[in-house]
Amino acid sequence: MEKFDVTVIGAGPGGYPAALRAAQLGARTALIEKEVLGGTCLNWGCIPTKSLIASAERFHQAAHGDALGLRAADVGFDYGVMWKRKNDVVAKLRGGVGQLLKAHGVTVFNGAASFAARNRIAVAPASGAPHEIDSGAVIIATGSVSAVPGFLPESEHVVESRAFLDQPDLPQSLIVLGGGVIGCEFACLAARLGVRVTVVELLEDILTGLDRDAVRVLRKSMEKTLHIRILTGSPLEQVAVSKHGVQGRFGRETLSAERLLVSVGRRPVTAGLALENAGLRADEHGFIEIDAACATAAAGVYAVGDVTAGSTQLAHAATSQGVTAAENAVRGARAAAETLVPACVFTAPEIGSVGLTEAAVRQAGRSVRTGLFAFAGLGKALAADETEGFVKWIADAETDQLLGAHAVGAHATELIAEAALAVRQELTAEEVGRTIHCHPTFAEAWMEAAHAAHGTCLHQPPKRR
Amino acid sequence: MPQAVLLPKLGQTVEEAAIVKWHKQEGDTVRKGEVLFEIETDKAVLEAESFHDGTLLKVLVGEGRTVPVSSVVAYVGKPGEKIPETLPAAAPEPAPAAPEPAPEPAPAPRPEPPAAPPAAAPEPPEPPAPTPAARPETPAPRPPSRLFISPRARALARDRAVDPARITGSGPNGRITVRDVKAYLEAHHYAALRISPAAKRLAVMEGIDILTVRGTGLSGRIMTADVRRAIAERPRPLSKMRTIIAQRLTESFRDTPHFYVSVSVDMTDLLRYRAELKEQGAAYKVTDFILEAVVLTLTEFPVVNSVTDGRTIRWRGSVDLGLAVGLEDGLVVPVIRSAETLSLGELHEAAQILAGKAREGKLLPDEMKGGSFTVSNMGMFDVDNFNAIINPGEAAILAVASTRPAPVVRDGAVVVRQIMKLTLSVDHRIVDGTTGAQFVNAVKAKLEDVELWKSLT
Repeated sequence: MEKFDVTVIGAGPGGYPAALRAAQLGARTALIEKEVLGGTCLNWGCIPTKSLIASAERFHQAAHGDALGLRAADVGFDYGVMWKRKNDVVAKLRGGVGQLLKAHGVTVFNGAASFAARNRIAVAPASGAPHEIDSGAVIIATGSVSAVPGFLPESEHVVESRAFLDQPDLPQSLIVLGGGVIGCEFACLAARLGVRVTVVELLEDILTGLDRDAVRVLRKSMEKTLHIRILTGSPLEQVAVSKHGVQGRFGRETLSAERLLVSVGRRPVTAGLALENAGLRADEHGFIEIDAACATAAAGVYAVGDVTAGSTQLAHAATSQGVTAAENAVRGARAAAETLVPACVFTAPEIGSVGLTEAAVRQAGRSVRTGLFAFAGLGKALAADETEGFVKWIADAETDQLLGAHAVGAHATELIAEAALAVRQELTAEEVGRTIHCHPTFAEAWMEAAHAAHGTCLHQPPKRR
Repeated sequence: MPQAVLLPKLGQTVEEAAIVKWHKQEGDTVRKGEVLFEIETDKAVLEAESFHDGTLLKVLVGEGRTVPVSSVVAYVGKPGEKIPETLPAAAPEPAPAAPEPAPEPAPAPRPEPPAAPPAAAPEPPEPPAPTPAARPETPAPRPPSRLFISPRARALARDRAVDPARITGSGPNGRITVRDVKAYLEAHHYAALRISPAAKRLAVMEGIDILTVRGTGLSGRIMTADVRRAIAERPRPLSKMRTIIAQRLTESFRDTPHFYVSVSVDMTDLLRYRAELKEQGAAYKVTDFILEAVVLTLTEFPVVNSVTDGRTIRWRGSVDLGLAVGLEDGLVVPVIRSAETLSLGELHEAAQILAGKAREGKLLPDEMKGGSFTVSNMGMFDVDNFNAIINPGEAAILAVASTRPAPVVRDGAVVVRQIMKLTLSVDHRIVDGTTGAQFVNAVKAKLEDVELWKSLT
């Protein structure tokens, strides 16, 4: 029987970095993947959506360049080419992951993994005989899949995100069920390519949990600029499929569209793992409980990413956990994983977020000081004709510690990186305000907002007393 | 005319109390009988109710302040009413006819006997307990602020979050100068310290010496969590109750020569009889039987119901039985007065009422004074055995452990019986080993004698 020091189950953004890190530390490492390298993120999530969004954004710019002095006749697009380019990008990255794993000496098994014992994994390939491997430590990184509620009919018109991306054409009209991150990203993507989009969200607003001011800017833009209908506060009911599309009821209104995108959440993948053979049990929703060091209740078994209870369901969080789990597994250490996870939403405009929201700080009983700077006051934003949005710091009123940051607008997902560093390093608003930022850049907004937290921003009128 | 709210009189011996919490803010509407504030005496936290309807106009005594009883602590009246200009420091003695501003209306059955028992001795003077008034109002763990230091040096030390009291001064008369602070920082490798900006800000604000903080961030960087830990680890004054517990028990354990004597009591028959009684509708607790056995035994061994100061011995004519009740953060000992005059049923009632009041924090100070013997029952906490510390002013305390099945020898054979360990702690100055041994065996004999209980129930 083959023996490994570390075996990683799942080659997504949590699993493959874990395998690379374990191998980097000198461990004999196996990686088991039942589908393709890269997982949801690379194949059906982050990467393919961003390549389509890039196409959509360029199209949008080309079609709306009048104000910038651009004249382009007959601007159009070919979704088939966009779709193929997306597949090429995915294939290239997937190949890259394969090469990296090979270069680090990771043994990759293609097949479904299940626990035979705490430190023995059975690999069942799609074809051929199953076999077992021995492993000192195991890292579960099996991720999640879209949840599709049972009341929805099975049809080619009803898709979740993965199936949407696999279809080589766009519908004329789209109902997006669920106004979370995935729903809003797809809604904006489709709307920019001329699809009539309706978002239906059960809760009172879209993107609950994010900074309310940022969401307000986004929602206004989605409705006014992209002409997306956003219906909140009631469920979509009586969903039925016909030959040409989908109908459903929202309150008294009947909605119909060519396609329905289901984005109501993702559920963990633990079925078939035979966790009980490792002495583990998933919780009632299928999640695996882990401690701060990503260790499960079974000795030597770790879990990272979407499959874990309390996960943020973000690729970069899974990667960070995967690296920590690999280090702990190889070194026999109990180092805690990072807990500060920045979030990015690739809507139009984008949202970036890190740390606490204003509401969360207040709820924790701490006094808050906020500093907000709008892009409308930023030279670079005006020059670039991207004046929508703002950045905002949430600081502790007593210690001036930066506890959270929120950005909405152009480049918000890039801008949030600086804020994440500042929050993690426990910088104060004063420190960021003193840090020289390049002019003219969007990043200057962080400096201005830090000054604004103290009421000393030079590019804002003084607050009335 | 606004009504003055007085700090209630809490009994004969309480002269002052601290307001620990206001339940109402200035401007809030208050109704007669609503809880206005909480007060803490040496022994208990009590709720004080409003005697008037109206609006809380002004709070004169804030949370954490200690004032004499009958002081005016607030005014209640109609909104906008003017409160008296000259605030009286303490209200005149309330007329005798005025309702006693007790924080709680006394529940109907008071544990006190309706009339003083014929044998009752005059209430003994208080045991020589340290007077609470002698203690400083707020024990200050901080170093003295009278430090001979230049203002610039003090500012530098503050900015660097170090405690100037640790710095040796080299100026005239040992005055600390900027140079001393700098030398101190260098000697302690301050420049090599890694501190997050927010952590440093917090340390300066809270007066934490950053050199005493262990960093847990990468490469030992001091993060806010580390400073918060240092803040949490700062010594805090004990609660008033804990201070009293500490003083009295230290005094007792230090000054009273304790010795301990244990017996195993076979509770099997009594427990069976108790179950029978319960079926008949008379629910007694095991504690009730123990209390009654102790009361009966104390009348047989008056010396154990006595008290000494080391030079004199004072006999106690009645059994004022203390009942140790553990609270979340502390311990109180309510006293059942003249327990020898109570039937088992009355004893059960009295113990129930007092223990209930103790847990709700509603005991009056007078209900915790003047015990002559204490029973401390940890039976519910699954313990084999323990030794208790004698309450000051008493000669002995009985520690009751858990009752559990155990193998014992009966008529030459090993059988399983319900066994409970009792341990008597005795003041050896007045009680000797023989008396102690006879006492615990007398208690044991009573508990094992079901016929006795049949006659008492």
